[in-house]
Amino acid sequence: MSFDLLTTVETGGCSAKIPPRQLEELLKDLHLPADPRILVDISTHDDAGVYKINDETALVLTTDFFPPLVSDGYDFGLIAATNSISDIYAMGATPLVALNIMMFPSSRIPMEVYREILRGGNDKAQEAGVSIIGGHTIDDYPPKYGLAVIGTVHPDRVITNAGVREGDELVLTKPVGTGIILAGHRLKMTTPGQLAAAVLTMKQLNNRGAELMARHSIRGATDITGFGLAGHALKMARASDVTIELYMKNVPLLDGTYSLAEQGCIPGAAFRNLDYTEGDTLPADGLDYTLKMIAHDAQTSGGLLMAVAPERSDKMLRDLHSSGHPEAAVIGKAVRRREASLILA
Amino acid sequence: MKTVDTRGLTCPAPLIKTRQGLNEASAGEDVEILIDNPTSFSNVKRYLSDNRLPYTVREEGSLAIVTVRRGEKTELSVNETEYCTTGSEEPAPKVRKTVVAVSSERMGSGDDVLGTKLMVSFFRTLVMLEPPPAAVVFYNAGVKLAMDDSPALDHIRELSEKGTAIYLCTTCINHFGIRDRLPTGSFSDMYQIVNILRDADHIICP
Repeated sequence: MSFDLLTTVETGGCSAKIPPRQLEELLKDLHLPADPRILVDISTHDDAGVYKINDETALVLTTDFFPPLVSDGYDFGLIAATNSISDIYAMGATPLVALNIMMFPSSRIPMEVYREILRGGNDKAQEAGVSIIGGHTIDDYPPKYGLAVIGTVHPDRVITNAGVREGDELVLTKPVGTGIILAGHRLKMTTPGQLAAAVLTMKQLNNRGAELMARHSIRGATDITGFGLAGHALKMARASDVTIELYMKNVPLLDGTYSLAEQGCIPGAAFRNLDYTEGDTLPADGLDYTLKMIAHDAQTSGGLLMAVAPERSDKMLRDLHSSGHPEAAVIGKAVRRREASLILA
Repeated sequence: MKTVDTRGLTCPAPLIKTRQGLNEASAGEDVEILIDNPTSFSNVKRYLSDNRLPYTVREEGSLAIVTVRRGEKTELSVNETEYCTTGSEEPAPKVRKTVVAVSSERMGSGDDVLGTKLMVSFFRTLVMLEPPPAAVVFYNAGVKLAMDDSPALDHIRELSEKGTAIYLCTTCINHFGIRDRLPTGSFSDMYQIVNILRDADHIICP
């Protein structure tokens, strides 16, 4: 494969999202349907919608697609699919079926690349036990790819942004820094090892984390993507009516993240996310500027951020460490609602 | 003067070059940054103010020239208390002089009720800041925050008790006709306001 997908884009992955503040503004006038069968809609800014079919089963629906963030088509397909399916896991659900969503410039990029992207998406879906049963392609430049995924969950066991309780500890399953590492890679500031580690984490399904959430009866969680650790934690705090304290020094970072950010390699998406959080966030005295910006780095296919009762967090961490998440850590705590929804320490 | 040319570059390259330029400049040397990417321009400004690096901006068409002033300030009306003599030949780092400039009774735009709430919350939080800001300057509709029925008044009083100077723009007070409804703060004119803002190490504009 010689075609470099990164030549088609300026920003890729979840960095390409619309700024969160603008999105909230746009969505706030939308009329939300009032249907008792809708268990979760956009009003709590959750990862997916949930629709109750009967007392045993609720459908969980989500979609996510974005422009390339790596050079290789197969890797792009794997990452995009992992990221799309992640929203299902974040709701505590089991993914079942999916549709491909593809925008591809048939006259400008070899069709071989198209095949590679789809092959990546298909392989990852298979790993997750998801059948891709259709899709839709539009001729468009630059290319974009992702899935629309459907999963199911027991209506009483939906995990949402709103399920965090005072006293819960916040456990993060994957290291942070994909946005910064990918930006650094484009400027040739990363080592091959640093890039490989970032790609590896983006290709890792959140299925094991989701299984553990079910086993430990977790009620509040989200996955960390385009709005960054701070943006997603803020949404959780608001939806759960608590204040979340994040201890940035405990956050696991991808190798190279801190040094790149310190050198000024801070993608524009981090500034957009900062714009969004800062009216409702209290930075603690002496908070390191670099760590503050890392908290706002847009993640692609990031880890799960789950609220765990303090007496269970040790066990949860041990379980995560032995299920492919060796860097999982307690990075914060939910406390009684204060003025600010988020405290960055 | 050191020049950093970021023309033609996209995010975050201009920020990285800015950081490099600041690292490489000799002590006290100003750094001039040429930027033609609007997003990078706004992010570089944000980065500089977050890191308390004073700068000025000149725009020529689509080109922005940001000059980071790293020279020693001599004009600041520095209080004795801002230095503490350690006895060694190295003076301790100067306490940074923070000035808050308030131009509206609300924080941000979009929703007025929310904006008022945020502004009150801003002042409640400002009181917790250590050390407290050197001064708060109120102008335009911002002066209404210091009125006798303002939900922020108690916090402004607390700031004043902690040693923060409160300045109210006289022209603005007259414009709104509220001169007899201001229980705290000193009246000040544009000359004084301009001087206070110029002498600040950094300025917070909620």
